[in-house]
Amino acid sequence: MTRDDIKDLILDIIADIDEDAEFAGLDSDKPLRDQLDLDSMDFLDIVMELRKRHKLQIPEEEYPELATLNSCVNYLEPKLKDQ
Amino acid sequence: MADYQLVIIGAGLSGLASGIRAARFGLKTLIVEQHSLPGGLNSYYYRHGFLLETGLHAMTNFAEVGDRHAPLNRLFRQLKLSRKKFATHQQLSSLIRFPEVSLRFSNDLALLEAEVEQQFPHCRAPFQKLVAAVREYDPFSPAPWRSARRFLAALIPDPLLVDMLLLPLMVYGNSEEHDMDLGQFVIMFQALFVEGFFRPHGTMKDFLTMLVEQYKGFGGELRYRSKVAGVRRQGDRVEGVELAGGEYVSCDTLLSTVGAPGTAALVGWPADAPKYEGQMSFVESISVLPAAQRAVLAADHTIIFYNSQQTLSYKRPPIAMNPDWGVICFPENFQDLPEQDFFQVRITNPANYAIWKQADPKEYQRLKADSEARTFARVSEIIGNYQQNRVYHDSFTPLTIERYTAKAQGAVYGSPIKIKDGLTPYRNLFMAGTDQGFLGIVGAMLSGVTIVNQRILMRS
Repeated sequence: MTRDDIKDLILDIIADIDEDAEFAGLDSDKPLRDQLDLDSMDFLDIVMELRKRHKLQIPEEEYPELATLNSCVNYLEPKLKDQ
Repeated sequence: MADYQLVIIGAGLSGLASGIRAARFGLKTLIVEQHSLPGGLNSYYYRHGFLLETGLHAMTNFAEVGDRHAPLNRLFRQLKLSRKKFATHQQLSSLIRFPEVSLRFSNDLALLEAEVEQQFPHCRAPFQKLVAAVREYDPFSPAPWRSARRFLAALIPDPLLVDMLLLPLMVYGNSEEHDMDLGQFVIMFQALFVEGFFRPHGTMKDFLTMLVEQYKGFGGELRYRSKVAGVRRQGDRVEGVELAGGEYVSCDTLLSTVGAPGTAALVGWPADAPKYEGQMSFVESISVLPAAQRAVLAADHTIIFYNSQQTLSYKRPPIAMNPDWGVICFPENFQDLPEQDFFQVRITNPANYAIWKQADPKEYQRLKADSEARTFARVSEIIGNYQQNRVYHDSFTPLTIERYTAKAQGAVYGSPIKIKDGLTPYRNLFMAGTDQGFLGIVGAMLSGVTIVNQRILMRS
């Protein structure tokens, strides 16, 4: 997956778990939590969707790596390079 | 390999919500339910062509679409159900009625504030302090039991107002007698006074169907008429469930929604079971009247919480039932509900399980008739003659509740001791539901969601 693919994947997952998600003006370097008003239960859903769709196991201590769109891409790029 | 990754005992609201979470993320999941319908305490049945709902007076925790952090909306997101497509009807207003003073409240806290100011002018500022304290308090962070009564007494200078506020909060979800845990008080205050009452546009049957379809849509399996006779265990792990028909189903993880005493009995867990047995049970009377009959009753509110004594005695009565305090609910009184042909009156009073339990069939029938007469004598003084032209009537006792809901001793709010983390002495056996400290329909479902999130999804 390219970096852009991963970005799309994350946005697709968020759109899937949240019918109200609004991506206009989203800053890739700012926390998703604040910009999209996500809570910890929503974050768990992102992790679980990644597991379901791409067999990725993300340990709880690494959840902070998913804070911003860019940090998601950086963290997931090596894990998804062969997918 | 086990037959299922997860087996859930009970297709009540916490069981269904748990099942949806697990199945949504690919766990091979089976729910076993002893009855032929889902819902547990909040189910339905048919009599004489009427669809009658059990348990539900109103749902609590009302939230508008878009209020992302409200429990109701978080719950819908977690279950991947569309909140936008879920039509709701808010309450009209409700009443707390004591002998000399009454307080109205609605889903707008300002009404209760104004009522407090009018009836208890000296409590205006203290009540606002209480509201601020409730908003700041996090009831979900682990904390030892703390007396809500002591907390209120220090804040509110009028014991009558304290009792009036406690009546609805206790009767809609307190498993302890007399007092309640402060965290529980905060949860209930938010659920009833801040967020408020509503009902779904459809029936409880529609609501349950939506949940079952969601669960099955994610690949979850559900078996009705499958009573669990026992749980097989090995050391500190459970291995599977033995069904009453003799079949054995193995599982990696077992989630029980049948309460602490019920779970302990199934596993042979040498818990100190009696201390987990709730004392608070109720009798309920349902009367169905022609819609026109509503006009002759004092039936303008959605729910009336009444107490005919000066102080609130929230405890198991020493007699079969006590009509001195209770709840009168008019399930048709929600905003913009379509016109119905019939109008229901549902009345709930505290009852003593042990007295009903030891009655022989003849005595049981006599107690039932007596209970109805005592409820009528008290409630007709408040709302008028609700038996005139009645087309249907039914009543439930603590035994009915125990039989249909697996709640030990008919204790609708479960154990007075809450096991909030859902843990048991067995590493792969967890509990969800009323005994985890969440109450009401929204609370029971959030309990299922939370326990599956914390104990199963995050660990697997």
